[in-house]
Amino acid sequence: MDAFYASVEQMDNPELRGKPIAVGGSKERGVVAAASYEARKFGVKSAMASVIAARRCPHLIFVKPRFERYKEISNQIRSIFFDYTDLVEPLSLDEAFLDVTNNKVNNPSASLIAEEIRIRIKDEVGLNASAGISINKFTAKVASDINKPNGQKTIGPDEVLKFLENLPINKFFGVGKVTASKMHLHGIFTGKQLKEQTMGYLTRYFGKSGQHFYNIVRGIQNSEVQPDRIRKSIAAERTFLKDLSTEDFMLEQLDKIGDELEKRLIKSNVKGKTITVKLKYSDFTTQTRSKTIAEFIHLKRDFFPIVKDLIYQEKPKDSVRLLGITLTKLNNEADSKSISAQLKLDF
Amino acid sequence: MNFVISSTSLLKHLQGISGVLSTNNTLPILDNFLFEIVDGRLAVSASDLETTMRTSMEIEAKEEGKIAIPAKLLLDVLKNLPDQPCTFSVNPDNFAVEIAYDNGKSKMVGYNGDDFPRTPGLEQSNSITISGEIISNAINKTLFATGVDDLRPVMSGVFCEFSPESITFVATDAHKLVRYTRTDSQASGSSSFILPKKPLNLLKSNLKGDEEVKLEYNDSNAVFTFNDVVLVCRLIDGKYPNYEAVIPKENPNVLRIDRLQFLSSIKRVSIFSNKTTHQIKLKLAGSELSLSAEDIDFSNEANERLTCNYAGDDMEIGFNSRFLMEMLNNLDTSEVRLEMSEPSRAGLLMPSEDNEHEDILMLVMPVMLNR
Repeated sequence: MDAFYASVEQMDNPELRGKPIAVGGSKERGVVAAASYEARKFGVKSAMASVIAARRCPHLIFVKPRFERYKEISNQIRSIFFDYTDLVEPLSLDEAFLDVTNNKVNNPSASLIAEEIRIRIKDEVGLNASAGISINKFTAKVASDINKPNGQKTIGPDEVLKFLENLPINKFFGVGKVTASKMHLHGIFTGKQLKEQTMGYLTRYFGKSGQHFYNIVRGIQNSEVQPDRIRKSIAAERTFLKDLSTEDFMLEQLDKIGDELEKRLIKSNVKGKTITVKLKYSDFTTQTRSKTIAEFIHLKRDFFPIVKDLIYQEKPKDSVRLLGITLTKLNNEADSKSISAQLKLDF
Repeated sequence: MNFVISSTSLLKHLQGISGVLSTNNTLPILDNFLFEIVDGRLAVSASDLETTMRTSMEIEAKEEGKIAIPAKLLLDVLKNLPDQPCTFSVNPDNFAVEIAYDNGKSKMVGYNGDDFPRTPGLEQSNSITISGEIISNAINKTLFATGVDDLRPVMSGVFCEFSPESITFVATDAHKLVRYTRTDSQASGSSSFILPKKPLNLLKSNLKGDEEVKLEYNDSNAVFTFNDVVLVCRLIDGKYPNYEAVIPKENPNVLRIDRLQFLSSIKRVSIFSNKTTHQIKLKLAGSELSLSAEDIDFSNEANERLTCNYAGDDMEIGFNSRFLMEMLNNLDTSEVRLEMSEPSRAGLLMPSEDNEHEDILMLVMPVMLNR
């Protein structure tokens, strides 16, 4: 979906149409969650600090996000997808991978299906969508950005390799700012240069993802479209209006974050073994502290004492602007099942 | 305050108690040894607030006093000194400590000994005397079975139960359980408490086996006094699980087998087991025991056959091989008995021969096969 949150707001409120708007908090600590295309012309981007966005675009209108509404529309769009295939892998509220190799409408052309879906979204929901069509998830995702907004791009099997060779490295899905600048240091600026590196070289410098890069630039990606992706973590976090400097204040906030996390854990019906506390300091550096325990837990009364230990374990090196709690090693992972085959005494 | 002491004798005493020193102390003074001279005896203590250990020795000293000396510095210098008398001079005004020895001297700054946390006194305590051999045996046999679960702190310690007939030590992590009972030592009344791991490890390394240990305890603390050592520890607060209830009574399938043969066979087979489950399968039929393991992810597998003495129905049961190895390693008899009922119920492992004063029962929960 194009500028999803912003487009929804403009659709629901005609006064906002044609104006630069940003969905997100306007206050000192706010962050832009989505910017309308009118705002993007001024250089306003998502994830930008609201203060900076307002400086770049003085007429910017800040709109409070209404996640319930976005979710509702997201479900509407997803139900359109399901008319074509059951193999839908949601990537976020406004993005999804669809495997239409075998589809319910017996249309052999993925490009035509994409067009039809985009028209239906426009007619039935009222929003613009973009699509990328290709031989695997990675190339399709990259392709979807090319004719944005309100467009689509097909990269056929015989075009894939050439397309990837000419692609700037920072356009690769999964290459963010940090990896891109690291790639640049290694003299890799395009897909072609990436392709010239050996697997050994890439894994040495980029670890596990090196292997991934080696494959994707060759058009190889064997990851299937997974309709029910297994959640690997559940988290709750919060940014504060004012930086916190003492552990007592942090615990007070973590207490609320813990309530939220517990709610989410109960809702998704999972338990986890590793508790991680995330601290983002006032200088934006992030630190995580974690502990893995022997049992799967999901209640606050079980994980909060561990959170407390982790906070007191070491003095925070600075005042803190964001705190979060994450639970990983969830009991929905495959190998957790084989471990639970170990029977326990009934105490 | 000045005193003279042999470097090796002091080092030996300090090393005995240095296990108490914690690397993440909340109070900086706990990174020190507390030296106290009273009546011509030097007492040295180390503490982490939960556990405190004190050792004492005869020395040459004219005056009394106390000082806290940085533990790591002191241990490091003593470790590197050949045996010789060392003269300690303490300046009571600025707590500077000077150690003079053959080649020269070293200086460091200590803390006021009065700031060192006091060990809690033991009010309304019970007392019992047990031989060091029994305590160290009990620790060796049970400690490995304790849990590491922060959510069940009671299971991270060893449960001690005293009665007029016997004394019993129990450890469990909910997967395995050990019950060690001695009838050659009794208490006057009935009582029970849970000892944490750290003091047990310290006892294990400090007990020689031939001493008598005086144990005093109340609801919150226990004090062990033996040789020239006093160990004070806080007890784990909480209710120990009802372990007797989980020990199955009817176990008609009984395997008798040579302990070392069984152990080395498990060791070999388990090399090929799944690295997360460590699962091995025991198949019992007639007088033959087959052990097998497989790791489907890597197409690894191993099978072995052992002759054994088996009375019961043919059965297949899965266990975590690590648990079995730990348990077999902690038994001493040449033959062991494994009693089972069903593949989903606990197996009981014990020595084949009964010992007059000692009863060991180990219990291990199985792993469900075919999943």
